[in-house]
Amino acid sequence: MTSNGKPKVAFFDFACCEGCQLTVVDSLQTHLDLLEAVEIVQFREAISDRGEDYQIAFIEGSCTRQADEERLRKIRAQASVVVALGACAHTACVNALKNLHPLEDVRRWVYGDQAEWYDTYEARPISAVIEVDAIIPGCPIDREEFIRVVKALLLGKKPPLPDYPVCVECKLKENVCMFHIGKFCMGPVTRAGCGAICPTYGDGCEGCRGFIPAPNENAMKDVLADAGLTVEAIMARFTMFNTYLVSARKADGEERR
Amino acid sequence: MPKITISPVTRIEGHARITIHLNDAGEVAQSYFHVEQFRGFEKFCEGRLFYEMPQITPRTCGICPVSHHLASAKACDRIVGVRPTLTAHKLRELMHMGQLIQSHAMHFFELSGPDLLLGFDADPRIRNIAGLVQTHPDLAIKAVRARAFGQEIIRRLGGRKVHPIFAIPGGVNKPLEPADRDWLLGQIGEHIATAQMGLAIWKDWLEKNSAMVAEFAVFPSAYMGLVRDDGALELYEGTVRLIDADGNILDEFNPCDYLDYVGEHVEPYTYLKYPFYKKLGYPAGVYRVGPLGRLNVASHISTPLAQDEMKVWKSLNGGKPVEGSLFYHYARLIEFIYALERAQELLEDRDILRTDIASDGGTITGEGIGCLEAPRGTLFHHYWTDEHGIIRKVNLIVATGHNGWAMNHAVNLVAKRYVDGTKLTEGMLNRVEAAIRAYDPCLSCSTHAMGQMPLRIELYSARGELLETLEREA
Ligand code: SF4
Ligand code: SF4
Ligand code: SF4
Repeated sequence: MTSNGKPKVAFFDFACCEGCQLTVVDSLQTHLDLLEAVEIVQFREAISDRGEDYQIAFIEGSCTRQADEERLRKIRAQASVVVALGACAHTACVNALKNLHPLEDVRRWVYGDQAEWYDTYEARPISAVIEVDAIIPGCPIDREEFIRVVKALLLGKKPPLPDYPVCVECKLKENVCMFHIGKFCMGPVTRAGCGAICPTYGDGCEGCRGFIPAPNENAMKDVLADAGLTVEAIMARFTMFNTYLVSARKADGEERR
Repeated sequence: MPKITISPVTRIEGHARITIHLNDAGEVAQSYFHVEQFRGFEKFCEGRLFYEMPQITPRTCGICPVSHHLASAKACDRIVGVRPTLTAHKLRELMHMGQLIQSHAMHFFELSGPDLLLGFDADPRIRNIAGLVQTHPDLAIKAVRARAFGQEIIRRLGGRKVHPIFAIPGGVNKPLEPADRDWLLGQIGEHIATAQMGLAIWKDWLEKNSAMVAEFAVFPSAYMGLVRDDGALELYEGTVRLIDADGNILDEFNPCDYLDYVGEHVEPYTYLKYPFYKKLGYPAGVYRVGPLGRLNVASHISTPLAQDEMKVWKSLNGGKPVEGSLFYHYARLIEFIYALERAQELLEDRDILRTDIASDGGTITGEGIGCLEAPRGTLFHHYWTDEHGIIRKVNLIVATGHNGWAMNHAVNLVAKRYVDGTKLTEGMLNRVEAAIRAYDPCLSCSTHAMGQMPLRIELYSARGELLETLEREA
C-alpha cells in the first residue's frame, strides 16, 4: 500500500495487439472514481513513470518466448494479485494459431537467415507459466466487466465470472438466433459476460471468452454439422481463439490413452 | 490522480534501433533505421478459412484494426466473387472515416502537437498530452473529444471501438440505426471546427519555424496513393496513382494488379521490406505513402473545406510535390478535415439507412486483393485459397513498409545535420524521434509511452567500433 492507503496497480504487456490496454484507458476515462481509489505505478500506454512496488498486476498478452517466462515470474513474485487481462493472456488468443505450424517454418519465414536470433516458441496463456488469481476474458475485454472486476478486487473479493453460456445473454437481448439466419455461432459453449455482443451486432460468436466449464463439445459439433459446416470448418470455429486449449486437451487425451 | 491518456501502439517485439556510422573525418557517413516487422501473421493465417480473415488480421494491431478489418473484407469479396451492395459499401467507408478521424486526431494532438506546442527540446516527461493539458487545456479537451467521436462512429456501426464486428465477405452485418445516424450528424460540426483549429495552430507554427522546417529531412521521392477517377483524394476505394518527384504521373493502376507494379526489396539491416516501383527499380523507384503522399498525388479534394486548404497545399512548392517530412503533419490535418466532411456526406446520403447490406456469395475464385488508404498509407491484403476457401498464402503490405526507405533516409539526413563528431546528445535523440514520428509509423518505437519512444542509437567509428550508445526506455 502507499502512504495514502491506496493499492498500487501495474499493467504489463506481452505479445498482443494492446487493444485491451486501450480498452482499459477508455473505461477509466468514464470511471474516474476508480482512478481515485488506486495508484497506477506502471502503465506503458498512459504514463511514463515506472514504479516497482505494486500489489495488483494486470497482464496483457501471451507468453511467446523463453525470456517472457522470467519476466512473468518476477511480476508474480512482486504482486499479491495477478489478473490475466484479455484473451491473449487468458487463452493465448489468435497468437496460438502459430502453434498449428511447425515452429521452424514460422521462424524461417519471418526472420530468414537470422532465424536463430529470433527467440520464439509456441504461444501460451500466462497461466501456463505462473499462477493467475483472476481473469478478464475477451478479445478485447468488455469495458464494464473490467470495472466490475477491479471493484471486486479492491473489496478483497474474488471477481465473479459467469459460468453460463453466451446464449443466455443472447436470449435476454431477444436477438434472432444466428443459426436461424444461416450463420454459425459458438454461443452455446462460450462463457458469457460480453452481453452476447457479436450476435447482437449480427455475427456468430467466435468463442473469444473461452469455453464454459464442462462444455458439451460434441453437441456443439453436431449443431454446427447440422447447420452445414464441414469438419474442417467446425474445427476452425473451435480453434480461432482456443487453439491452445484444444491442442492441450488433445495432447492430454492422447497421453491418457 | 494519475494522468491517463492514450498513445497508439503496435505489435513489435523489441526496440527500434538506429545505427550511425562515422567516416574517417568523424562525420556521419551513413545511418540506418532497423525494424523488426510483423509477428508472422501472414504465416499463421495459412490453413484458415478465408472468411475468418476480417476477424483474425485486425488482431495484429489495436491501433488501426479497422483498416485491416476492411481491407481484409474487400479481399474476401473478391474471393467469393461478389460486390458488396452500395449500402454496404457506403457503411464500410463511413467506418473507415471513423478510423481516419480517430487516428489523425490522436496523432496530431497527442503526439506531434506536444512536439510543436511545447517544443522539440522540451523534457519528454512534459512533452506529451498531459503537458498539453497544462498549457493548452481547451485544445486538449477538444482533441480528446474529436478522437472519441471517430471511435464512436466505429462503435455505433460495429459494437465496439477495438475489433468491431462489422464487415463480412459481400457486405456488413448490420444496418445503421436512424437514431445513431442523427446523433453522429449532430456532432460533426464541432469536430470540423477542432480540425480547423489544429490546422491554424500548425500554420502559425510553420510560419515561426519555417527555416528549420525547410531543412528538416526534406528530400525528393516518388509518391503513391489512391485517387478517384477524376484525380480527387480517395481513402477507401480508387485507382493507385504514382507520381515522380516533379509531380508527373508515372502510372495509374487497379490495386488488384499491384504485383505488376510494386516490388519488395530486402535490406540486410532491417526486417522491413522496402517496396518500390518496378519499372524504375530499386532504389530509383522508392516512393512515399501516407498523408504527404496522398495529397501530392491527388489533384484536388471533393469536399469544400478541405479543398480550400488543398489549394494552399498545392501552392506550397510551386505546384510540385511537397517534400519536407514535417509536412506530413500539415497533410494529416487537411485529411482530418476531409474525413469529417466525407463522414458528413455519407451520413446525409439517403441510402445510408437502407437495409440491403449484404450480397449473397458466389463461387470461390481462389484469390482476392483488398486495398485502401489506412491512416498511415496504402494497405494491401492479398490472399490465395484452394477451391474450398482455405487460405494457402497471404501477402500483406502495410504503410510502414512502404515508408520504410523514406524513414531510413529521413533519419540519415537528420543524423548528418545534427550529429557532430563523436558525441550523441539528447537534442539529437529528440530530432531523430521527430523525424520518425512525422511518418507516424506503426511501430512500438514511434509511439509508446506518450512523448517518448523506446529507442536505441548506436554510434560507430569508421573502423566499426561501437563508440557510444544512447538508450531510452519506453
Ligand atoms: S485479447 Fe484481443 S484485443 Fe486484447 S490484446 Fe489480445 S488481440 Fe488485442
Ligand atoms: S445466436 Fe448464438 S448465442 Fe445467440 S442464441 Fe443463437 S447460438 Fe446462442
Ligand atoms: S459473442 Fe463470443 S466472440 Fe463475441 S465477444 Fe462474446 S464471447 Fe467473444
